[in-house]
Amino acid sequence: MVFDYQNTFDEVRDGKPTVAILPIGATEREGDHLPVGASTLVLETVSRQIAEGLGEPTYLLPVMPFGTSGSFVGSAGTISLSWSTLMDVITDLVESLARQGITRIVVIDSLGGAGGSMIRPGENYIVKTAVRQMNYDHPELDVLWVQPFTAAARDLKVIMDFPKDDAHAGELTTSLLMHLAPDLVQSNAQDHVPPIGKTALDWVPFAALCPDGVWGHPSRATADKGKLAIAAAVKQTIAYIQESFAYLSQAKQRA
Amino acid sequence: MRFTNYCNTSSQIRERNPEIAVFGIGAIEQHSYHLPLGTDWLAVAEITRRVAEKLGAFLVPALPFSMSECHGPMPGTVWLKPKTLAAVITDVVNSLQAQGINRIILVNGHGGNFVLEAMIRELNLARPSLQLVMPSGELVISVEEPIFETGHLEVHAGEGETSFHLAFNAEHVKTDKSVDYVPPVGREFLDYAYMSFISESGVWGCPSRATVAKGETALDAEVRSICQEAELVFKFLDEQSASRAAATTRS
Repeated sequence: MVFDYQNTFDEVRDGKPTVAILPIGATEREGDHLPVGASTLVLETVSRQIAEGLGEPTYLLPVMPFGTSGSFVGSAGTISLSWSTLMDVITDLVESLARQGITRIVVIDSLGGAGGSMIRPGENYIVKTAVRQMNYDHPELDVLWVQPFTAAARDLKVIMDFPKDDAHAGELTTSLLMHLAPDLVQSNAQDHVPPIGKTALDWVPFAALCPDGVWGHPSRATADKGKLAIAAAVKQTIAYIQESFAYLSQAKQRA
Repeated sequence: MRFTNYCNTSSQIRERNPEIAVFGIGAIEQHSYHLPLGTDWLAVAEITRRVAEKLGAFLVPALPFSMSECHGPMPGTVWLKPKTLAAVITDVVNSLQAQGINRIILVNGHGGNFVLEAMIRELNLARPSLQLVMPSGELVISVEEPIFETGHLEVHAGEGETSFHLAFNAEHVKTDKSVDYVPPVGREFLDYAYMSFISESGVWGCPSRATVAKGETALDAEVRSICQEAELVFKFLDEQSASRAAATTRS
């Protein structure tokens, strides 16, 4: 059973959700062929499917439409929060969930991808610290973070042609949008992989490395890959959440 | 006039070159038994979409969360602290100015966001090129016939909010579950106690008086009012800039 912003407070009260999900999207340049709200659009579907598949009463929050998109600031359509603002947003929302007795909370951090890491998020890096701090400040809570397409990295390596090169507005995100909202996808995308690692994004704006706003192979995108990728991401994320909560319950010796 | 939003690509937005951005602040909070938790967010998203459409502006995705702590831990309610909300809006303003948009219409969808006036003033006074305005939406409504019979009694989930919601999200309004209640204290008492201490149902007003017709009239009036007010303010600010520039040239 999933509760969301269309429910009334008494429906949530009576439904007693045992887990809450906070998805963090983005509004940022996605090449010149994808909508600036691509991450938000994907997460609306993916977070709902995850909520529906968890098998317990779940409170699904709306997708936070902004993350840390500093690499794209200045480009049309980009809205970026500073890391401290995003950390405070997550902190406040988690605390307000704790205050109403929801003690298991999952932050679904943007999309991730085949080249991502389960240890350090590729987008909204500060989510890792925000979640860690929440668990310290609130010992009664179990707060997790997960990037759904990173959880499905193994599947993506089979589904995609260029999994490792894919960082932004590339094969994955273009495939996802082709599946979910094809009328929002333009056909002008050029493949591009800069001759430098992603660490360079700590030093220069994205456009300095990728003038057209693409890091990957959008020309290889297909709607079918998008469909398969979503199914894998939902399945693997649900498994990660369930296994993680089960482990933590035991490790922290909860009743 | 076509507006741009999060469904457009960056280059489509750049080609449109919007001079104005519209940004709504929503909330996820109890709205008693008859209105959904997302009432403020859904309403402000609808209003800002219509305003952006009228003005050919860039529509920023509406912020779902704001200062809803006044409803305390009534289930489903989540909130941002005042400084967090102010930081989000500042970052949004910074992002818009960085892409060359200096005229921003902020539409407040939740009455409890009392940090907004303070931060808007500070930002505008510190940044001469910024024109950040938060129209009250009452310019037109106060001049015409009052649309709501009990508007003056309403603080939350009353005739006004319920009518608005009937106008565009009627399937999620549970009219038969609504309760009328007006507490015997002023609304400043929300500075002293959670809503749940003052009104168990979470209502402060008379939702039983709500109608679709009132909602449609009010929605229309509010959109017109916001657009008119914003345009008047922008014109005033342009005149201010011009006379400052002329004074500088003379001196």
